[in-house]
Amino acid sequence: MILQKRLKYLHVALNNSLPEARQVIAQLPSSDRILIEVGTPLIKIYGTSAITQIRAMVPSGTYLVADNKCTDLAEREVAMMAQAGANAATCLGVAPIETIDRFIAACDTYKIDAMVDMMNVDSALMVLKKLKKLPAVVIIHRGVDESELSKEKQIPYYQIKQIKGSYDVLVAVAGGDTIREVQRAIFNDADIVVIWKNPEQAKSFLKEI
Amino acid sequence: MLNKREKYLQIAFNRSLPEVQAMISLLPRSDKIIIEAGTPFIKQYGTYGVSLLKNWWGYVVADLKCMDRGSREVTAMAAAGASAATCLGLAPIETINEFIRECETVGIDSMVDMMNVEFPFEILQKLKKLPTVVVLHRGVDENELNKGRQIPHEQIHRIKGTYGNVLISVAGGESTRDVVRTYFNDADIAVIWRSFYDAPNQTAQLAQDFVKLVR
Repeated sequence: MILQKRLKYLHVALNNSLPEARQVIAQLPSSDRILIEVGTPLIKIYGTSAITQIRAMVPSGTYLVADNKCTDLAEREVAMMAQAGANAATCLGVAPIETIDRFIAACDTYKIDAMVDMMNVDSALMVLKKLKKLPAVVIIHRGVDESELSKEKQIPYYQIKQIKGSYDVLVAVAGGDTIREVQRAIFNDADIVVIWKNPEQAKSFLKEI
Repeated sequence: MLNKREKYLQIAFNRSLPEVQAMISLLPRSDKIIIEAGTPFIKQYGTYGVSLLKNWWGYVVADLKCMDRGSREVTAMAAAGASAATCLGLAPIETINEFIRECETVGIDSMVDMMNVEFPFEILQKLKKLPTVVVLHRGVDENELNKGRQIPHEQIHRIKGTYGNVLISVAGGESTRDVVRTYFNDADIAVIWRSFYDAPNQTAQLAQDFVKLVR
């Protein structure tokens, strides 16, 4: 695994357009604790060229996550993301178990970190239990549509301790974008905090971490 | 937009752009054949790939497999010329609702893909509005590693019985016989990809047989 287990990371997701991504990257403080994500909309709009172009915008050595949200044909997608220069790729926890297993194996082959995104999964533990091998990172996630349309839905912070108590994996939390939610994620023992709305606050987020 | 009284053959493309162009040139011209920009194809080429497919064929399905940000992804694909887009049945209900609403706004067909959904009914029941098409299928990875699981043909009748207005698309079979069987089971769209991926000439023949069959 490329990420270190004892450190906390801030994961900045870029989702809108490449010109905007360039502006956001320019505002970010320089730190090896910041991970940059090429968001799903960017991959679907620009293809793998989004990854190669963002790779050219960030300082060398920056850790890039391709949020490809794989649901099928895992090897094919992992190969594409790795060849484009990603250090990690994502697979959906709601995908068939066969796909997640294949995805994790392919990430091993291509030497990138496997991240499994538990958006809309009732019990992340149940999914992890069925896997042949654990991913490097498990992402606890409340989707953007869910967050905006069902404000009562909470990020299931309690799952962080459950997962870390049973499995030796890093846990990332996505879906909160205020300083309070970042503090809450870290307080609840998350290793990686994913933000996308307020990248200009990255400096203060980084301090919390 | 799709016609509810017709049967369609949907051919999914996942190879490189030059290969896809060559494959499409083998297909008989027919508005009963719809082509799909597969998920890996979209992730490789983005909306640029979709717009090229649109130049080469009439009806193009963008197999987005949307999981979040329903409206953002739909807008991008519609602007690129897609005639339909797909959303995962496994996505949060809010996302599927947003997806269907946005497809309607931009004037494209909405398809909800029930891969790995045990009871598609439960999802359909929760929606504010029905999609144009419900896709019943098994993933490629599942198919290869777990041959015991079957395409749920019995669900076609149940869904159509309850929600008469929705079209059903079934993916999984690859021969002319499989395609006929799919229609026999009352599906409206049969999706194929593997045979075309492995042997484009043979699938062109299948497409020709299909066009004769539904004429």
